[in-house]
Amino acid sequence: MHYALNKLAYGGLLILGVTLVSFSLMVWFGPDQTYTLIGKNASAEQIAEVRQQLGYDQPFAMRYGRFLVDLVTLNLGASNSSGEQVYSILKKTIPVTLALMIPGFILGNLLGIALGLLATYKKDQWIDRLITGLSVTGMSISFLVVIIFLQVLMCTPYGLNLFPVRGWQVTDLASYLHYVTVPTLSLVIIALGYNTRFYRAVFVEEAGKDHIRTAKAYGASPVTILWRHVLKNSMVPIITRFMFSIPLIVISGSLLIESYFGIPGIGKVTFDAITSGDQPVLKAIVGLTAVAFILIQIATDFIYKLVDPRIA
Amino acid sequence: MVSDLHYWSRLKNNRAGLAGLIIVVSFFLLAVGVWAGLLGQGWSAAGGERWAPPGAEAWFGTNLLGQDIFQRSVFSVRTAFEIGLIVSILSTALGAALGAIAGWYGKSWVDGTVLWLAGVLDSIPFYLFVAAVAFALQGKPWAMQIAMIATFWTATGRLVRAEVMKLKTREFVLSARAIGLPDLLILSRHVLPNTLHILLIQISITFVAAIKTEVILSFLGLGVQDGVSWGLMLAESTQEVLAGHFNNFLAASIMLFALLMGFNLFSDALQDAFDPKQAAL
Amino acid sequence: MSQPALAVSNLSVRIARQNGLPAVVDGISFELAKGEVLALVGESGCGKTKSAEAIMGLLPADHWHVSADLMVLNGAGLDGVSASALRKLRGSEISMIFQDPLTALDPVFSCGYQLRSVFIRHRGMNRRAARDASLVMLGQVGFAEPERVFNSYPHQLSGGMRQRVMIAMAMACRPSVLIADEPTTALDVTTQAQVLAQLTQLAREYGTSILLITHDLGVVAQYADRAMVMLNGKIVEEAGVQDLFARPQHDCTRNLLSCTAKADA
Repeated sequence: MHYALNKLAYGGLLILGVTLVSFSLMVWFGPDQTYTLIGKNASAEQIAEVRQQLGYDQPFAMRYGRFLVDLVTLNLGASNSSGEQVYSILKKTIPVTLALMIPGFILGNLLGIALGLLATYKKDQWIDRLITGLSVTGMSISFLVVIIFLQVLMCTPYGLNLFPVRGWQVTDLASYLHYVTVPTLSLVIIALGYNTRFYRAVFVEEAGKDHIRTAKAYGASPVTILWRHVLKNSMVPIITRFMFSIPLIVISGSLLIESYFGIPGIGKVTFDAITSGDQPVLKAIVGLTAVAFILIQIATDFIYKLVDPRIA
Repeated sequence: MVSDLHYWSRLKNNRAGLAGLIIVVSFFLLAVGVWAGLLGQGWSAAGGERWAPPGAEAWFGTNLLGQDIFQRSVFSVRTAFEIGLIVSILSTALGAALGAIAGWYGKSWVDGTVLWLAGVLDSIPFYLFVAAVAFALQGKPWAMQIAMIATFWTATGRLVRAEVMKLKTREFVLSARAIGLPDLLILSRHVLPNTLHILLIQISITFVAAIKTEVILSFLGLGVQDGVSWGLMLAESTQEVLAGHFNNFLAASIMLFALLMGFNLFSDALQDAFDPKQAAL
Repeated sequence: MSQPALAVSNLSVRIARQNGLPAVVDGISFELAKGEVLALVGESGCGKTKSAEAIMGLLPADHWHVSADLMVLNGAGLDGVSASALRKLRGSEISMIFQDPLTALDPVFSCGYQLRSVFIRHRGMNRRAARDASLVMLGQVGFAEPERVFNSYPHQLSGGMRQRVMIAMAMACRPSVLIADEPTTALDVTTQAQVLAQLTQLAREYGTSILLITHDLGVVAQYADRAMVMLNGKIVEEAGVQDLFARPQHDCTRNLLSCTAKADA
């Protein structure tokens, strides 16, 4: 109980920090939005009115406080560009992003684990060297290069022309597969290098431990050793990596993929908001991310307890 | 120290690592050539034939504006090294400083603050942070580098902190404190030099991260503003490839890949050489 | 004379692909008679553990080069045997217990699970039968509450208890040979005595021969029948325990004895 409260307090401090930093940067130091709203030829009274509306005449603490309250009560305002309620934008786009990114994310990790296990099993033999070489190669390719290449290869007449260049008209399973395949493929290719390398390192370290020697001494087969003893003991680092790369992949990754493939998810919304300076949207997203991060930490701690008996 | 000889010999035996180093040094020489005004100077000259195929005039052909792709690719080597070196060295230095302080005053409010700061910076989605910094700087050029340095230091910080906490209990530190040497002196002269292997590895890893990040930022319009980089070239090429013009894309991606591969091979070799677990068979 | 439980001739262990370096184990030979307790003594780094690992086949072929004229367990050869045949022997005909039971046991599985799997693998039992057999075995090694130990995880038990779990695993299939590598070094003195007494008593009951690796001559004096002294990968002296203590031939033996004497004084 004490432990849980501690964690929540820490999480709260983090959220405070995140919102403070983003508020400071975006709103306090950010460009004055008055003129964007009413143009340059407004009268002094109009200017004063708008400034009051936007809260520019209030001290930092008050504005920050209002920002926090808005966040907590989900009073996220409306987008500066489209005028749509931020809340409804989020409601529409988050499911799309999840449907887009989750298959690739999970597949990328599962493949990384599988290849890491294989490389550990055949450590220092040619398979291991091949897998390690491929993973270093994967780590040296830019995300953008992969996306451009796959788009040309899969979606244009210069390649296989099997999939759509842009868009997301998903009505059923078939159309879902039609639109999700190329993005998923790019996600997997990008993440695979890093994942394999990480998982291989974890497994190799575990395989060098004493209790593996004991398992061998009692006649366990290599497959049993890998599958039962190495894998289960590696669950803590696996889960840590899995959980903590969720924000990275889902948020940053979706930004690029969605803006490139024209998919209306939270990433594209973020991208548009960044390029157009749409502050209500950006504030909401930052707050959301911070909260998601905290939730992930809490969930991760809970999962640890399930897989490792040493964690009380 | 005797153990250092051991590390260097292991480093030298790693063929892939040596190959990586050679690649990196070659690219560095290219960058120097550009800095010295010898290479890649014609990167901005527009007006040539659009999308010309590779030929005598333009070795890799030209792009949408008739600019020489080869010149642009070579100039981009300099951009890459500028960004990569600035970000990697400064962020590693910042991480080393903050990490050392946090580790030295471990479990105190100083440590707590540094860790909290690292946690906050890790929690903010990176591209949002860059955008926010760009807003805050209102168009002044260094937003990208500042944002990168402000977020990349955390990895180094945590590693240095852990190492300093371990070193704190070692004899040579205990005796230095017993003599009454000031903390800052002990940290800078005795403790930090023992983290050099970590710092070296982090510099090479961060260099790769910085360049990769620049590519995406330039695509988003938040990266290199004037000059040319592989990121900008790739951003240009996104439209070009849909019309069947691949030279820009190929030139940028292949050179980018080569430099990144070189650095990755080299940092792998560094990590293997300094990894204590691989020492004894 | 009946055949020895374990016969080893000219066993050498080298680091693979490093022909310049001296061998870790340099042509040792010995015989372990049925029911005997043979001590293998020496300072750390003299090659004791590597010899044991080589006999058990635990040294991966890509890092280690193991060679021997003869390695025979109960009349059946150990080298040149297929990997799967060797796996059948390990834990059933020949077993090994290790120095640090905390790291030697798998931390994420219960003690009972690990003990039970020996029965499942080598005696073909189903889970229920294996569990029953495990509980019996835990009783045999002196646990008053076998159920509780069965359900516990290694980190929940004390060092001595963990080592007794290891002994249970090792003796579960009544092996011909048990190699005990510094089984009590990580334990305090009182527990040491308990564990060793348990071990040797069980071994006598089951007719198991013990190869007892240790650097502690006090243990040798109390529990071993014969002893071999190892130095830099070679066996430099071999004698019955009484003779060894009364008339040590080699400098190394004398050194070890004087160290013990100083420790006792």
